[in-house]
Amino acid sequence: MRILLFEHFRTARESLRRTKVRTYLTVTGVAVGIASITTILALSGGVTDIITRQIKDAGNDIALVRPTAKEPSLIDLGNPNPAAAYTTSPLVERDLDSIQSLKNVDLAAPIMTLSGNVYSKDEHPHNSTIVATTPEFTKTAPIVMKDGQFIDGMTSEDTVVLGEQLAVNLFGTDQAVGKQLTIRGQPFTCIGVIKRQKNPINYNNIDVDNSAIISLDSGKLFNQGVAQIQQINVKATKNTDIQKLKTSIETVISKNHDNERDTSVLVGEEITQPTSKLFLIMTAVLSAIAGISLIVGGIGIMNIMLVSVAERTREIGLRKAVGATSESIVSQFMIEAFITSALGGIIGLVGGYALAFVISMFLPYDPVLSWQAGAVALALSIIVGVLFGLYPALKASRKNPIESLRRSR
Amino acid sequence: MAKKIVKEPVIELLALEKRFGFGDAEHLAIDNLDLRVEKGEFIAIMGPSGCGKTTLLNIIGLLDTPSDGDYRLDSQSVESLSHIKRAHARAKKIGFVFQDFNLIERMNVIENVALPLTYSGVSPTKRLGLASKMLANFHLSEREYYMPWQLSGGQTQRVAIARALVNKPAILLADEPTGNLDSKSSHIIMEELSDLHKRGNTIIMVTHNPDLTTYASRVITMLDGKIDTDTKEDKVIEKNSAPKRPLSIKQRKAIKRKKK
Repeated sequence: MRILLFEHFRTARESLRRTKVRTYLTVTGVAVGIASITTILALSGGVTDIITRQIKDAGNDIALVRPTAKEPSLIDLGNPNPAAAYTTSPLVERDLDSIQSLKNVDLAAPIMTLSGNVYSKDEHPHNSTIVATTPEFTKTAPIVMKDGQFIDGMTSEDTVVLGEQLAVNLFGTDQAVGKQLTIRGQPFTCIGVIKRQKNPINYNNIDVDNSAIISLDSGKLFNQGVAQIQQINVKATKNTDIQKLKTSIETVISKNHDNERDTSVLVGEEITQPTSKLFLIMTAVLSAIAGISLIVGGIGIMNIMLVSVAERTREIGLRKAVGATSESIVSQFMIEAFITSALGGIIGLVGGYALAFVISMFLPYDPVLSWQAGAVALALSIIVGVLFGLYPALKASRKNPIESLRRSR
Repeated sequence: MAKKIVKEPVIELLALEKRFGFGDAEHLAIDNLDLRVEKGEFIAIMGPSGCGKTTLLNIIGLLDTPSDGDYRLDSQSVESLSHIKRAHARAKKIGFVFQDFNLIERMNVIENVALPLTYSGVSPTKRLGLASKMLANFHLSEREYYMPWQLSGGQTQRVAIARALVNKPAILLADEPTGNLDSKSSHIIMEELSDLHKRGNTIIMVTHNPDLTTYASRVITMLDGKIDTDTKEDKVIEKNSAPKRPLSIKQRKAIKRKKK
């Protein structure tokens, strides 16, 4: 049996080599399908990976409190204005105080994002974010000052800390400390510039490089004196059971909100999950589309195998006459399909990963392909080969040897 | 029981029948045929086209199954064999030689000869050794690495015979082995077969050419799926004598009962 398998491999290799162009084209068909799946998996893996690494850097003692987002559905994919984006956050300063007073909580930092414009005398940069927070924020996120200082308890209400890119956009230089700018029509003075982070995707959902950070009190002034908080970053004291802390935070907020479950607390792995379910749906839909191209590749295999079976009718008849069983004919052709699809799988995997790197030059993160995702892509290619090779192989094995031998060339 | 059984029969066909088609279109390719082939016989089967020669050969070669009757190969009924066992029997007991050679074009001569050994589980190196030895018997040692299209017709058929014999089969079945050859090559091939016969091989050959029957030890003529004449029978049945009546249903049932 082992000899026979080895023999089939040799025969398959030989017959594939004999019809080189045909084989290359079929392999390409599978490779394109696998490459597109690999690219999508690698890029979505990159997003997850980047947040995982941030959590690792921050330590395993961070909990995030966020308003519960509306469950997105497929309809939202086609909806240019999903309603959830505009709802008011239920988190207020009282919740922050309650969390801070909990046992095992080292500190808690609010993130309040404000709509509005930042401009200097000469420039009106787009894409800037106004964030109101407290000095504790630096301890829950990787913030390093390039120049000047972060807001603290002593700084006055009309001071602002700028992300490096925003400073350059506003003033043409990162030497922005002491310069004047306007936020929502109010004059502010820059007291510090944050070192470039290059990670617009993070668990705080803000791009610090393009942010103007003001104190929570200033933020409240822009919002009729009420802090509406998008997220509270909680840092636990050392050696705290983070799951227990999660429960106690949930309890205290639920009490504050009259038992309305309008917020969720994320710890550990949960934080690394892509924030938006829409992102997951997007990935799934793209993968499905890539899967269709894989089916096309599979049909290519089937097509070529059928041609190959027809061409070798006499050979099949002869092999049967000299003692080949139907099973050995099946495995001979199945191995041929397997080699084609596995080759396509490997080429697609490498090519897709390379393509993901090319695409990532235009994206703020690197692609990451976990071994699981790689295995899934390879397994898919092999499954396609086996599925689409089965029919031609069975067809070959069922040929009547007498008729096959009588067939003229 | 007048006849004494001298040798074990290699092949024994009892009331064999092969039908093609259904109902009105039904056609008997082999009609209630009995045949005993003993070891070492060289049988030539003659007869007009469509008389069932090739069908008979295919059934003997286990490529086809009879519709009725019994076929014993080496005293074992093949009816009960699974398709895998039949394939194994083809690999080990039967060698085929075809009119149009049927070498695999993309394999060289020695690989073609070694092919049947693949299916009897011989290792690759041993296969080539055996094939090489077999080719030497046919004076083809220098052609081992030629491709089939580089050989003459006679050489190709000798390669095909070498392939049929490489497994040391009990029977060699040849379906018009010289049908595609000129008369000189035909006689060379026939000399080879005759040589094999002298060395003790059992050969059954289908042919249209009456000249070739001189090589055979027994000549059978078939007509309409039945044996018309057989040189083994002491008296040759006269062509114009009363036609042989087919067995009655009663007689046939008796044969079946005997089988059981």
